[in-house]
Amino acid sequence: MDGTLRTGTGDPIPAGRTVGRSPGRLAWMRLRRDRTALVSAAVLVLFVLVALAAPLIEAAYGIGPHDQFQRRLDGFGMPLGHAGGVSGEHFFGLEPGLGRDIFIRLVYGLRTSFFVACTAAVLSTLIGAALGGLAGYLGGWLDAVVSWLTDLTLAMPFLIVALALTPTLALRFYGQRDEVPPSFGVGVLIAIFAVFGWTSTARLVRGQVIALREREFVAAARASGAGLGHLLVRQLLPNTWAPILVSFSFAVPQFVTGEAALSFIGVGLTEPTPSFGRMIYQSLDYLQTDPAFVLFPGGTLVALVFAFNLFGDALRDALDPRSAR
Amino acid sequence: MRSRLATALCTATTLVAVLGACSANTGGSSTVDTGRQQTGVIATDPKDSWGPAPEVPGARAGGTFTIIRETPLSHLDPQRTYSFAGLMAAPLFARSLTTWKDDGQGNLVLVGDLAETPGSNVEDDCTVWEFKIKDGVRFEDGRPVTAKEIAYGIARSFDPDLTGGPTYLQEWLADTPQYDTAWDFAANRTALPPGLTTPDDRTLRFEFARPRCDLPFAASLPSTAPLPADRDTGINLGHAPFSSGPYKVTRFQAGVEIVLERNEHWDPATDPVRHQYPDRFVWSFGPSTDTAANRVIADNGADQAALSWDFVPASLVSRVAGDAALRSRTILSPTPTANHLVINNQRVTDLRVRQALNYAIDREGLVKVLGGPHVAAPNTTLMPPATIGHRAYDAYPAGPNGDPDRARELLGGQTPELVLGAADSSVEQQLATQLKGNLERAGFKITMRAIPDDAKLDEIKKRDNPWDLYLSSWAADWPSGAAILPVLYDGRGIKVAGNTNESYFDDPAISAEFDRILALPPAAQAPQWAGLDERIMREHAPVVPLYVDVAYLVHGSKVGGVFVSSVFGYPCLIDAHVKP
Repeated sequence: MDGTLRTGTGDPIPAGRTVGRSPGRLAWMRLRRDRTALVSAAVLVLFVLVALAAPLIEAAYGIGPHDQFQRRLDGFGMPLGHAGGVSGEHFFGLEPGLGRDIFIRLVYGLRTSFFVACTAAVLSTLIGAALGGLAGYLGGWLDAVVSWLTDLTLAMPFLIVALALTPTLALRFYGQRDEVPPSFGVGVLIAIFAVFGWTSTARLVRGQVIALREREFVAAARASGAGLGHLLVRQLLPNTWAPILVSFSFAVPQFVTGEAALSFIGVGLTEPTPSFGRMIYQSLDYLQTDPAFVLFPGGTLVALVFAFNLFGDALRDALDPRSAR
Repeated sequence: MRSRLATALCTATTLVAVLGACSANTGGSSTVDTGRQQTGVIATDPKDSWGPAPEVPGARAGGTFTIIRETPLSHLDPQRTYSFAGLMAAPLFARSLTTWKDDGQGNLVLVGDLAETPGSNVEDDCTVWEFKIKDGVRFEDGRPVTAKEIAYGIARSFDPDLTGGPTYLQEWLADTPQYDTAWDFAANRTALPPGLTTPDDRTLRFEFARPRCDLPFAASLPSTAPLPADRDTGINLGHAPFSSGPYKVTRFQAGVEIVLERNEHWDPATDPVRHQYPDRFVWSFGPSTDTAANRVIADNGADQAALSWDFVPASLVSRVAGDAALRSRTILSPTPTANHLVINNQRVTDLRVRQALNYAIDREGLVKVLGGPHVAAPNTTLMPPATIGHRAYDAYPAGPNGDPDRARELLGGQTPELVLGAADSSVEQQLATQLKGNLERAGFKITMRAIPDDAKLDEIKKRDNPWDLYLSSWAADWPSGAAILPVLYDGRGIKVAGNTNESYFDDPAISAEFDRILALPPAAQAPQWAGLDERIMREHAPVVPLYVDVAYLVHGSKVGGVFVSSVFGYPCLIDAHVKP
């Protein structure tokens, strides 16, 4: 058996002294030795905690995401004081105009962004891996159909579909006068990302599975009478973890920025729901007059996306049995 | 490598944060004279209607004057011109029957432009009007302008292919809003519409079925610009208008640039208002409002003689206003564009609820959301202060920040649930959020619904629209109550769609008042409109007046003579010149 391949039934054969370690344990050890991974993981955990604890933070901070502090703005609607109104009371200052607290809106924006991006990434990766794996392994007409579906999805103008569907759906479900709850926007965003985001994962996994399906261990398993489920999940999946995780780790930051862009053009989260995206796009106009307003949401988004990319990278390295570390 | 990158990133972030924190904003005060009194008269002395217009102090001839604007002017056809930019561009190349002598400070005199006087009311009952055309007015090819060409210009505005312009003259002559079916221009190219005659080459006569006392005002719009029939290129006239003014269009590159150069056949002695200082005017289209403002502020090369047409964007206002060096290069002026929170009176039928809405609004906070006093000025009247005869009053005094307690008291414990329709543009969403906050503080329950930005105007003009509240604005075509109150609050003309009466307010007593005042001579109307304005607000409160737009413009260091029109609130170019 090729030493670089892992199967569900046997460990790889390491060179030199042999200590029995499961592949998961090996990956974990590699990950722990990687400082970048640790730092980015810590940052991610922090973000997740902040997002989960948003209502607690609100209670401790004493300011809600819709509270306005226009008395602390000058006549032009610009925040008074240093760096866009940063003070002990308002950690990140105030929005120009409406005078809402940037910190608490960021916390809530983070929560929505995280939820949307992670759910959508999990969904799109699941769809992509399942379709890609099936198409790659079974081939034939199924492969043709899935490949055609992938091409169709890629060719679909995603923004136009999103723009056209959202108002129609809102009208269908909420009529002309009912409140459209934020969960509708969140649902629309997740659906859009899941429906349009699975293609790259599917292609990656399909290619990988096509390369693997003729290998000896697969043939052996098949000869021993293993069913389709066993072959896909126990034999092929462990060998395709790396591309799946890579596409997942890229999907999350891509969806975070995607949420930002879509909310700005009115699809997804509308005022007054706190949204990362709208905040960032709105702040860009104030680059000259209130740089702090650009810096805080922008910096947070950079940190989030950067940490995700670094961690995804490190995870891939750790899971790849061929990697040096 | 990676950790070094991270360090660099952290350092950069910290640096920006420190830089941003260097100066503290302690707030500053600035004032705009929005309460200035608009005065307007119709000239009685025929000498007022003759030129040459008084020299602008310090103005010299020569140079190229550039106007930078984000959205292109799609055409320059005077009969189809109705946008603010189009109305302000037209006087350079098109003369009209009458025109406004405007000092940019709200003092207006209506004078004759092509006509010797601003019209004579022949029977003294506003049904028959005569205009004597001046001797010596010429087209760009040197031939004289006569009553025939002016009448032809008015006739071609009946053509349903040439839409988009004002429709006052057509509707008044045909005595019906469906004027294009009452008189078919295409079938009668050599004839004139009913009621319009040219007894001789120098006389133009209007005969109306009903009194139309506002005719001299309506005649100031560029739809009365002359055109010889043999020069009518139909829809293509928009790219090459036939000039009667001090400039002629020498280049029209759609969406990019329009160049106007001197028209040597224009005689200053016949023109009471225009000048011919720059060698050429260049309209340059494309740069965003931010880019245009920043370019003009930077003041390099040709931009020194450039005007940024669009108002300084709200996000830049504090920077421009805070820079003392820019003070001489900015223009600040109130405009006649009034913005209301329109209440759908078909849905919100309880007067006390409408009054409570009026008490609840925090206008100071609203102005902050818009970008401060250089962008908007609070207003409590139906007509903007820039209307002739305007009288300030506040029917529901709530102080600058609103009076939620008084509103609650009026509501008497009930919680009206209202739907606020707002365009999905960034600015309007912010405004709506602000208003929702104000109203919920006063005991309302507000549901915000987004309307696609490009469809919003059409949607709220539909009689059976589903919203209770929406934002809207109105700028009159001339600064008289006649062009505001009956247009917005006469309930007899409510149609299925395309209504200007967006509040769907309908009260027979008020409508009767409209008829009574409209039949008065224009000079006597002004105080009556002001009185009716207050009466409508006190008795019915059909809308919540919010603010008037404020014009805030920035231009290059060599620009002179630009002022904000007291009629339309946009920069006027007839005195513009390039400083050496």
